Amino acid sequence: MNGVAIHAEALTKSFGRTHALDGLTLEVRTGEILGLIGPNGAGKSTFIRAIAGLVAPDAGDISVLGQRPGRAVAASLGYMTQSAALYDDLSVRENIAFFGRVYGVSSTDARQRGEELLALLHLTDKIDRPVHELSGGQQQLANLACAMVHAPPVLLLDEPTVGIDPELRQHLWREFATLRDAGTTILVTTHVMDEADRCDRIAFVADGRVLDVGAADELRARAGVDTVEGAFLRLRGEGGA
Amino acid sequence: MNRVRALAVRIARTFRHDRRTLGLLVITPLVVMILIGYMVGDSGKEPLRVGVVTPPPSPGGGAAPALVFAQALRQQAGLSVADVSDADAGRAQVEGGELDGLIVTEAGPPGSSSALPPVTVVVPGVDVQVESPIVRAASLASAIAQGTPVNGDVPGLVVERVTLRENVRPTTISYAAPAMITVFAFLFTFMLTSVSFLRERQSGTLERLLASPIRTQEILGGYMLGFLPFAMIQALIVLGYATLVLHAQVSGPVSLVFAVLILLVLGVVNLGVALSFEARNELQVIQFIPLVLLPQVFLSGLFWPVRTLWPPLQWLAKLFPMTYAVRALREVMLAGVGLSAIAGELAALAVFALAMMGFGVAALRRLRA
Repeated sequence: MNGVAIHAEALTKSFGRTHALDGLTLEVRTGEILGLIGPNGAGKSTFIRAIAGLVAPDAGDISVLGQRPGRAVAASLGYMTQSAALYDDLSVRENIAFFGRVYGVSSTDARQRGEELLALLHLTDKIDRPVHELSGGQQQLANLACAMVHAPPVLLLDEPTVGIDPELRQHLWREFATLRDAGTTILVTTHVMDEADRCDRIAFVADGRVLDVGAADELRARAGVDTVEGAFLRLRGEGGA
Repeated sequence: MNRVRALAVRIARTFRHDRRTLGLLVITPLVVMILIGYMVGDSGKEPLRVGVVTPPPSPGGGAAPALVFAQALRQQAGLSVADVSDADAGRAQVEGGELDGLIVTEAGPPGSSSALPPVTVVVPGVDVQVESPIVRAASLASAIAQGTPVNGDVPGLVVERVTLRENVRPTTISYAAPAMITVFAFLFTFMLTSVSFLRERQSGTLERLLASPIRTQEILGGYMLGFLPFAMIQALIVLGYATLVLHAQVSGPVSLVFAVLILLVLGVVNLGVALSFEARNELQVIQFIPLVLLPQVFLSGLFWPVRTLWPPLQWLAKLFPMTYAVRALREVMLAGVGLSAIAGELAALAVFALAMMGFGVAALRRLRA
């Protein structure tokens, strides 16, 4: 592969007595979809938040596109939060326009880009609806559109497919692949094991550490099992023979 | 009944886990009751400083009633009476704020040892809280000097309000309007900014903003610019109703009224943002409102003059923006002063706004790595 988009080396972060990150080391290559897979509380969100510049690690190094996380590199990142972080009373269009402006996109470009994204996400008919009238899945889509309005080279997606119906989920993953083919780096967290095959590589995360990284096939072969779930459980030493 | 009990127990449990709300539930009424008890009580207050001009002893005994008056005045509670040599110097001191009031007595014609010529009470006029107790004390002393019943009508009292353009006692609404406008602007701005910022935190939109290239100052600047017009529209409604319908007085330039309010609102927006970080939920934020607002309402000179407060409370009042806003608005609306006369108050409000911006920036910066 070409370059390295995100590099994290021995990251640690504690919140009180909880070790959210405990020596996490990971490299995300430019133009790949890397899936972070692990149980809730494994440290996936903390890692994403550290990349977004919202959490300062206690120790370790982290670089995004060759820079330390922070304002300087923020415009190159699209950050989608786990819950729909939108303004409830504003319409979908107004939310997208707002986040576009925050990221320095002109209002004309933001409008155009918003319409394209919503068409892509099958949300065009909801464009002028206030967010609180949308279903959970539709809010998640609008949330995603807001994260992509500035066409960032790196996307950080925290559980993007939660609450989205299977059909749309398939569609989303196809879109992620299209974006990847166009050169976008995507770091995505999930705890749905069957989404692992959609990623170029996956990283098993547990207890704030990366247990193993590789393509789904490699990980399955290495563990000698035929499911990603089985491979993960084997690595944690919880699976059967 | 079981379901009713289950709900009641659920509410009690919520309180038990929300220590802050429980604490505020106890602390807020205590703070407010302690303040009210102190405010309406007679003890622990600093006296108003009143100068008295007495005529020199005259051969005919005409000065005697004036001296009896001055003696009686010194015995009135709540005043600290000092002799002033001449009326003009005293007037200047009232205008300059070194004295809260001046009482000028004159000698009667020789031989009329029981009649007290009219007594002139000189007060600033912008502050009914200062004027009323001084006039009351003067009429009591005058009744004593003339031997009339204390509760009867006391003739011969002339009130001179030196800082007003015309010597007409402003109507009650004119006295109240500056305080009402200030309290509205403060309450509205504080409530809206603290709750909206809390929502911004809870919904995750703040996190999203902080992950963007936006500067923390830009977030606060946007909040200030966003809430200011609405606070001003509200101020315009309150001011318009007070003047057009209730005939409250606005002697000075309206632009100065808004200058005061803009500075106040800018500070309060940032105060709301900074304090919303101290709250975990909307219940807690709502409970901050009386805790932040009521002490200011009591101590900022709305009902009781700041000057008569126990000195530590005076220092506290000097930290409150409302003290400066109310004083400046009274000066502009009642005395009709210009910019230079309230420059000090405007500067204090600007300092408050800058300090609150500092708190806001610091609170936001902590959320970024």
